[in-house]
Amino acid sequence: MRGGEQMGKIKVVHYINQFFAGIGGEEKADHRPEVREEVLGPGLALKAGFKDEAEIVATVICGDSYFGENIEEAKKEVLEMVKKYNPDLFIAGPAFNAGRYGVACGTIADAVQNELGIPSLTAMYEENPGADMFKKAVYIVSTKDSAAGMRDAVKKIVPLALKLVKGEEIGSPAEEGYLERGIRKNYFTDKRGSERAVDMLIKKLKGEEFETEFPMPDFDRVPPNPAVKDITKATIAIVTSGGAVPKGNPDHIESSSAQKYGKYDIEGIFDLNPENGETAHGGYDPVYANDDLDRVIPVDVLRELEKEGKIGKLHRYYYSTVGNGTAVANAKKFAEEFSKELVADGVDAVILTST
Amino acid sequence: MVKEVERAGIPVVHMCTVVPISLTVGANRIVPTIAIPHPLGDPKLEPHEEKALRRKLVERALEALETEVEGQTVFEMK
Amino acid sequence: MDLENQRRVKELTEKYGAENMIVLIGGAEAESAGLAAETVTAGDPTFAGPLAGVPLGLKVYHPVEPEFKESVDPDVYDEQIGMMEMVLDVDSIIEEVKAMRDEHTKY
Repeated sequence: MRGGEQMGKIKVVHYINQFFAGIGGEEKADHRPEVREEVLGPGLALKAGFKDEAEIVATVICGDSYFGENIEEAKKEVLEMVKKYNPDLFIAGPAFNAGRYGVACGTIADAVQNELGIPSLTAMYEENPGADMFKKAVYIVSTKDSAAGMRDAVKKIVPLALKLVKGEEIGSPAEEGYLERGIRKNYFTDKRGSERAVDMLIKKLKGEEFETEFPMPDFDRVPPNPAVKDITKATIAIVTSGGAVPKGNPDHIESSSAQKYGKYDIEGIFDLNPENGETAHGGYDPVYANDDLDRVIPVDVLRELEKEGKIGKLHRYYYSTVGNGTAVANAKKFAEEFSKELVADGVDAVILTST
Repeated sequence: MVKEVERAGIPVVHMCTVVPISLTVGANRIVPTIAIPHPLGDPKLEPHEEKALRRKLVERALEALETEVEGQTVFEMK
Repeated sequence: MDLENQRRVKELTEKYGAENMIVLIGGAEAESAGLAAETVTAGDPTFAGPLAGVPLGLKVYHPVEPEFKESVDPDVYDEQIGMMEMVLDVDSIIEEVKAMRDEHTKY
């Protein structure tokens, strides 16, 4: 190789969803994968960040619902598209707090990395379900919870991406701005362990701030409860994150980042229809749910089963909130509260529906 | 939310479309559903067919509630 | 700023010329007002809409700003905006919108 030969620009393929591609919102979430040899949406911000070092040679677009409902096929289709360009680097997102998008980004970045051997990264908010699923497998840049954090995200993505491609050493999560991967790195330091431990203990006793060298992972799994012994005598309650509410959304449950949940009375209701029910959820195309809310909470079928004696009783109340970008802490709080009521009301089992 | 219901001592079955998400949030009994905008329905079917489909899904969910499980278990449609 | 409005601003600007446009935004909070102002000057900061990467550099104001307040009939202003002025965080809104204008408005 000649001495002064200049390396070509780094080739990047970018993956985004139908919304950021300008194709449409929820009504286009079933958009099948396609590739365009253009820079689109957030790609423009990445392009500005990369300047002369890298260029996006193609943008792969896929609808969030299509991906979520056809994970294996969508993965295959997208991998084929990426392979064609033989890029040096693959970037998916940023997905911020969009759950389906985050899962798609994590899935595809992981697949490109493992099956095509191409350095990949993605970016999303730490509470995105895609983050928990993939942060150990793929570098995920930590972003704010909405697209208002686009510039901030790109500022972190660009340098990390370049380091990845060039094979440079990647620093700690705090330094580089990615989510903790659960990887332990050994390093040499001047003070011995015992001295560092005593220093930490002294700080703790004094009530001063200290930083642990080994944060414990958050396991929080709840073991399954015993099965229902006799379902024909059981009281079943419906809970949903699909945003099912009575017509008119009387409690004004928010279409995203829900701040409350509703408790609704279905006494005497044997079928949901546009007169008595609708969805408040803003994260999926609402037309099917608004047309027949039984598609989100199966009241009609449960009433039939109740009449036939296949279940003891359909609980009179259902609990509902909107799962779209709702903070984990809030969802936990809602469920803690209403679970107490469910127990007090003698509910034997719960069917929880999500979209 | 599934974990909190389970924590309160009530067996719960999660009916949802994107199973990997359900696994991540810690559901123990999972029944995969049809599609994101209509988990318990299919607008392409005739109404009575759609209701029959919904009933099958709910019956599977009830089966899941009647089944002892050790850890996270997905109950696919038979 | 939502995609539909971004499209409208873009089309009207193409039709009438950027130097002949003023955008008046009504956001009730500083952050959203700032984002809207940024969208019509520097380009959509969320890179989701038609103005992604399109810096129109338009003149943009919020009704609570002195430049607007002082150029309209005070009685009409009082009637239409007086109430909201009392509950909004006027200073923060002015700060956000003015910052975008000072940095990105070309006209």
